[in-house]
Amino acid sequence: MFPVLWPAAFGAAQVALQPYLPSDVEDVAIEALEELVEKVRTVRAVEELKPLAASIAHNRAVSRLRQHFAAKRGSGKTESLDPEQYETDEIPLGTALDSPLASLQQKELADVLRCIIAELKPPHGEIVADFFLHGLKYGEIATKHQVAVGTVGVYLKRGLDAMRRLWERQPK
Amino acid sequence: MNVMNDQNFFDLAMKAIARQASDAELAELDALLASHPGRKLEFERLQADVRTAKETLALANATGATTPELPGYARGRLQTKVQQTLGRSSKPVEPAGIGQMLRKWWIAALATGVMAAAVIFLAAFPLSSHPMIQVAMLDTAGTVRGSTGDDVAILTQQWKNSTFQSFDKTDSLKNWETNSPQGDKVTVKVIYDRAAGEVRVSLYSFGKPQHRAFVVESDLSATLQEANSFIKENTRH
Repeated sequence: MFPVLWPAAFGAAQVALQPYLPSDVEDVAIEALEELVEKVRTVRAVEELKPLAASIAHNRAVSRLRQHFAAKRGSGKTESLDPEQYETDEIPLGTALDSPLASLQQKELADVLRCIIAELKPPHGEIVADFFLHGLKYGEIATKHQVAVGTVGVYLKRGLDAMRRLWERQPK
Repeated sequence: MNVMNDQNFFDLAMKAIARQASDAELAELDALLASHPGRKLEFERLQADVRTAKETLALANATGATTPELPGYARGRLQTKVQQTLGRSSKPVEPAGIGQMLRKWWIAALATGVMAAAVIFLAAFPLSSHPMIQVAMLDTAGTVRGSTGDDVAILTQQWKNSTFQSFDKTDSLKNWETNSPQGDKVTVKVIYDRAAGEVRVSLYSFGKPQHRAFVVESDLSATLQEANSFIKENTRH
C-alpha cells in the first residue's frame, strides 16, 4: 500500500517545497504517510487514501514553509512574502501560503482533490492541465487533443468554473 | 454582454494571465477592461482563480502519480509505524476496512520477509530441499526366490524420480553404497537386499549420515512405504 501512496505524498510535498526546501520533500512525505497511518481508521474507502495522503503532505509542506519563512524573518533575513508576488508566474506553485487550499483542513482538501479528479474526466482534465500546468498554448492544445481551437477556451472555462464551485463549497 | 463576448473575454484573460497573449490580444483586453469597469474585477478574480487552479491541479496530478518509488529506508520506518499504531491495541475502536487492509499489508510484508529468509535458509541448509533418491537392489540368489521383475517395478513405482540399479554381487553394491555423494544436495540411498529380506536406507545430508534398516516381513510395498516415511521425516520432503 505504501508504494502506491508514496508518489501522492511525495508529489504533494514537492509541489509546495521544491522551490524553497527541496531537501525537505522526502521528510515531509514520510511524515505525511506516518500521519496517514494514525488516521487510517477514519477512512471509509481505499479510494480516499491517495487524496488524503496528498492533502496531509500538502498541509505539512505549507506548515514547513511557514516555519521556514518565519525563521528567516525572525533571524533578520528577508524573504519576500509580498502577496503581489504570487500573482506573477515567476512564483513557483504551492508557495501561496494564503491560497484557499492552504486554509483547508486535510479532510476538506482531500475531498476537493477527489472531486477535482472525478470532475475533470479526459480529455477535460488533460486540457486544463496542459494549459495551467504545462503552459501549452491554445493552438498546441487543440492539435494535441484534436479539438477545434475555439473549444479550448470552453474547456478551460468549464474547468475553472468547476474548481471554483468546489472551493466555494468548502467551509470558510 | 452575450455568451460569445464572455468567452472572448475569458480567452483573452487566460492568455494574458498565462503570458501567451499577442500585442493585439492585449490591446483588445485593455479596451474591454476600459469599456466595462466590471470586467476589471472579474479579471482580478480570474487571476486568483488561476493561481488556485494551478495549485489544485498540481496536487490532483500528484495524487494520481505513480513515481517515484518508495525509498527503502522509508519503507522500514513506515512498517514500524504501522506495527506501533495498528498492532499495539488489542481491540481496535473501529475496525475499519482500511486499517485491516494496512494490517494485512504489514502481515504480507512480514510474510514476504519470512519467505525470503526461508529461501536463504533452504539455500544454506539443503536438508529441507527435495532429496535425490538412488535405489539399488541386491539379488545374489537370482530369480530363485521369485520374480525380480515385480520387485523392480515396486521399487521404481515407490520412488518414480529415482535412479535404479541392480547388483548381483555384494562387492559391487558395496562400492555403490560407499560412494558418498558430493555437493550440497541431500541424497538418499535405498538398498533392497532380497537375500537378507531387508531395505536399508542411508541418508546423506549435512552432518552425519543416517542409516536405517527395515525388515521385509511379507509385503515389500508396505516396507518401502515405511522407508519412505522415514525419508520424508528426515528430509522434510
